[in-house]
Amino acid sequence: MECESNLFADNRMTLISIDQLHKVFRRGDEEIHAIRAMDLSIDPGEFIAITGTSGSGKSTLLYILGLLDKPSSGRYILQGSPVENLSDSERAHLRNKFMGFVFQSFHLLPRATALRNVMMPLVYAATYDTPIPEDEQRRRATEALTIVGLADRLNHRPNELSGGQRQRVAIARAIVNNPKLLFADEPTGNLDSKSGKEILALFERLNKEGVTIIMVSHDPSIAERAKRKLVLRDGELVEDSHAV
Amino acid sequence: MQFKEILRLSAESLLSQKLRTALTILGMVIGVGAIVLLVSLGQGAKNYVTSEFEGLGTNLIIVQPGKSDKKTHMGPPVGAAQRKMTTADVMAIEKRSLNLEAVSGLVLGTVSVRFEDALSNITVFGTNEQFPSILTVRVGQGDYFTREEDEYGRRVVVLGQNVVKELFGEADPIGQTVKLNESEFKIVGVLAPMGNKLGLDFDELGFIPTEAALQLFNDDKLFGIRAKASSRVSIDDAVAEITEILKERRDGEEDFTVMTQISMMASMNTILNMLTYVLGAIAAISMIVGGIGIMNIMWVTVVERTQEIGIRRAVGARRIDILKQLLAEAVALSVLGGLVGVGGAVVITYGLYISFPSFDMRAPIWIVIPAFLLACVVGVIFGVGPAWRASRIEILDALRYE
Repeated sequence: MECESNLFADNRMTLISIDQLHKVFRRGDEEIHAIRAMDLSIDPGEFIAITGTSGSGKSTLLYILGLLDKPSSGRYILQGSPVENLSDSERAHLRNKFMGFVFQSFHLLPRATALRNVMMPLVYAATYDTPIPEDEQRRRATEALTIVGLADRLNHRPNELSGGQRQRVAIARAIVNNPKLLFADEPTGNLDSKSGKEILALFERLNKEGVTIIMVSHDPSIAERAKRKLVLRDGELVEDSHAV
Repeated sequence: MQFKEILRLSAESLLSQKLRTALTILGMVIGVGAIVLLVSLGQGAKNYVTSEFEGLGTNLIIVQPGKSDKKTHMGPPVGAAQRKMTTADVMAIEKRSLNLEAVSGLVLGTVSVRFEDALSNITVFGTNEQFPSILTVRVGQGDYFTREEDEYGRRVVVLGQNVVKELFGEADPIGQTVKLNESEFKIVGVLAPMGNKLGLDFDELGFIPTEAALQLFNDDKLFGIRAKASSRVSIDDAVAEITEILKERRDGEEDFTVMTQISMMASMNTILNMLTYVLGAIAAISMIVGGIGIMNIMWVTVVERTQEIGIRRAVGARRIDILKQLLAEAVALSVLGGLVGVGGAVVITYGLYISFPSFDMRAPIWIVIPAFLLACVVGVIFGVGPAWRASRIEILDALRYE
């Protein structure tokens, strides 16, 4: 629980620090090194784009940072606490409280309305803290949907929404629990350029309000919009716009 | 995750596929319904036999020639006796016993009965005058024959309702003479309508004095002896008494069997209870089939909702939350099936009871509740596998699943 108390502390220390991180997949007899000996440190309030060709390991890195996947070796320190030895439940707690995720294919629940989709993280928040009353859940979900400009689409199901609107529902879901970190995996990949621009504008606004954003994109023009750009090739960090 | 939320998710999921849900619970409905129905049927049979036995009279003691295995109370094989049982035995019991209210010999036979041109075949009981109080035989018109008529073997007969109707129509039969086989008997009484008791239609019977019956059938031995203890508490003493008296008259040999109504009912109940349990156990198998149906659908559900599971885990659901959610769905299916099955079976058994009041097969509460609980347990047992599997899926594999 010590690590958690550190994570709850809101100080200006380095948000993320990784040290000699490796990720190895095994496909049959073949070993695939998705990430090799990577060192990286990220401060609060950054807006980072990770780019690289397909298979460069950028998504793998994002998922490890987002606690959706585990590294094969190396250290990952989140707000001063190592995460390697956290239990599955503790990792779920961190994802719920501190992180939001936006995926290329939106990953919304097809049967649920926009409002229900956005309320979902608040439902699971009850597991870790005192339950949030349903009225309050609705209020906060409505607020998040208002921020992304969908106040008039609360009761629409995903199949009644356009791609851009769906991605905005996904962003509302990602920010409804006031996360410190927002992870986005090719958030504009399935969108037309106009919708893509709107999503990026939304990210910039959230970043200004203090949310740290880490975004994967293979599209250089989109990556340019971020404050810091990381380029990966064959699992290695080959370019870091902040590097001294 | 809160219980309320789990319930909401289960309801949502089950309602989104109404036909599939209905078909899945159907297996459970049939399983639970079959258990309740078959056990109720067994109980109904038991209730029926018990009430029929009680309708025969109370504190009844049955003595049959021949020795049966002590363990059963169902009597010896007919005609296996070593020594005859005679009216002298009946007289000895009557004279010496202290715990009997009534005792009578019993002779059985089938005869033709004729009045003028009307002819019928009936079963005749040869008894003494005490018999009506032993087997609750009610005389509607006239009287049962007297002790004197019995002792002298007078040719008098008491006939059942239907026999009289067949021979005399609406005419008054009392005092008329009928021919049993070739012997003439005077009708002294007609039984009140009594109906069927344990497969014996009293309305189709005739009763004549023991001696007259022995002559009619050209026989000298009794089919058996029937007695009535003076009270419920004296039954055991009465049995001991009869046994002792008869043994004494047979040089100490016990070549007869004394049974009581209570012991016969007890063995009947044992058999019928066994039947009930066997029926219930067979039905329980169909419930397992219902459980397998639920498990099957839960596996399909897990595959279909792999991506949803990944999404839920990404936004903060723990493995246990996923497990709970899917287990709740399986249990909801079986509980729903259990409720419908039990409810349906109870309605059917009550409906049958209303239609056939003499056969009381109303579902007993001691099977309704366990059958329902068993359905819940089956839901947990068959739901836990798929739910466990769902909770073990890696998040990324789930998210990428198409």
